[in-house]
Amino acid sequence: MTLMDMTLNNDTDLMNLLDRMADSDESALKALYDATSPKLFGLALRVVNKREWAEDVLQEAFMYIWRSAADYRASLSPPMAWMGLIVRSRALDFLRRRASERLHVTQELDDYLSDTIEGDAPNPMNTALASEQAWALQQCMNQLDNKQREVVSLAYLRDLSHSDLAEQLKLPLGTVKTWIRRGLEQLRGCMARFA
Amino acid sequence: MNLSKYPQTLDRLAANYALGTLRGGARRRFESISRENATVRAAALVWQGRLSGMTELQSPILPAPAVWTRIQNMLQAERDAVAMQLARQSAQTKNGRSTSWQSSIWQGLWIWRGAAAAGALATVLAVVTGFGLRDQLDIRGKQVDELSAQLKVAPKIEYVAVLVDAKSAETMLVTFDSKSQNLVLQRVGDYQEASDKSLQLWALPSAGSPRSLGVLGGDKVLRLATAEGDVKQVPTLAISLEPKGGVPSAGGPTGPVLFKGALIQKVI
Repeated sequence: MTLMDMTLNNDTDLMNLLDRMADSDESALKALYDATSPKLFGLALRVVNKREWAEDVLQEAFMYIWRSAADYRASLSPPMAWMGLIVRSRALDFLRRRASERLHVTQELDDYLSDTIEGDAPNPMNTALASEQAWALQQCMNQLDNKQREVVSLAYLRDLSHSDLAEQLKLPLGTVKTWIRRGLEQLRGCMARFA
Repeated sequence: MNLSKYPQTLDRLAANYALGTLRGGARRRFESISRENATVRAAALVWQGRLSGMTELQSPILPAPAVWTRIQNMLQAERDAVAMQLARQSAQTKNGRSTSWQSSIWQGLWIWRGAAAAGALATVLAVVTGFGLRDQLDIRGKQVDELSAQLKVAPKIEYVAVLVDAKSAETMLVTFDSKSQNLVLQRVGDYQEASDKSLQLWALPSAGSPRSLGVLGGDKVLRLATAEGDVKQVPTLAISLEPKGGVPSAGGPTGPVLFKGALIQKVI
């Protein structure tokens, strides 16, 4: 069996679970949670960078997925992509709520980033459960150098502007802009081959 | 500038737009062009789709088991809320179709039932707060099962009568539960027969002689096993004062009729 086949089987299984959830089958929710919560928790943690917050986000996201399972088919997305976007948008909402309450968020984001940027850790993209579309992105992202990959993925996942990134990474604005521009150029060239 | 004629520039803008790094005025301009130009809109959607894969590429990390417990609790709370809502709606429907004096009785019944349910819930909560998390869930599950079992055996009241005395004071509430085939008599006044006498309940058909439905004991509440046929199409119920133990049905009441009232089929 090829990796692509595995992806398709995963997608079919997850879609079946979502269909059953649309019929209020709670055992399907449990199965979906068991299959996808580590992956989605990893994502939530990457966006909010604090276990306790990521757990709140995960809980909210699964309740949302439970209530909206009937709308999944209409989204025309692979199931993990649909759920990933739900988790990301819940996580960003969470950070916005936090930011309006107090301003510690920026401070706490730094801890995580200093490891990945300055330590030059590889932090490769993980393809467990990933849809076909995400496989292509992974191929292309892994061709970027570590710093470019990190800024590009953080810009997206945390919805950060150039200056937000510069501020959080304590890097000159010009540097951030250059990394993003080069990273995105390379990504464009690479992704065009998959289109 | 017509963006769709410059594919390289369009692709770069679309990628930046989807990544979120296109900001401020540039972002608003790109959005307004997208709304008018399908090629531009398509480029933005393609990049949004491509980058959405980013959410699928993060390393898996196991969340604490408490997260699933919290989700289960929320599901439970949702189910409870739905059940409560249904009960309320069905109570309102029933009330809406009753006549005024009946409706006050039905409201009363629903208040009793609500109070019983609230009591049961309070017990659940009291028990739950006294135990550890795991035990809580077990117990909660059991309690919920018990509550649903109780709901299943909850009476299905189909007939009701309020018997009044000569001064029109309520003395007896009579209900017929078709599920248990029980006629339930509940004394609501303070009438108490002498110790050498018994009260006897009669069905008074529109044609024919009174038929005995049973003899009341001294208890506040009495259940009489009764076939539905015995109460169906009986317009009136009456209670007579008889010698201790009552009289045979064939002869009809021998003592005075103390209480009397119309039997009404409850339309559900």
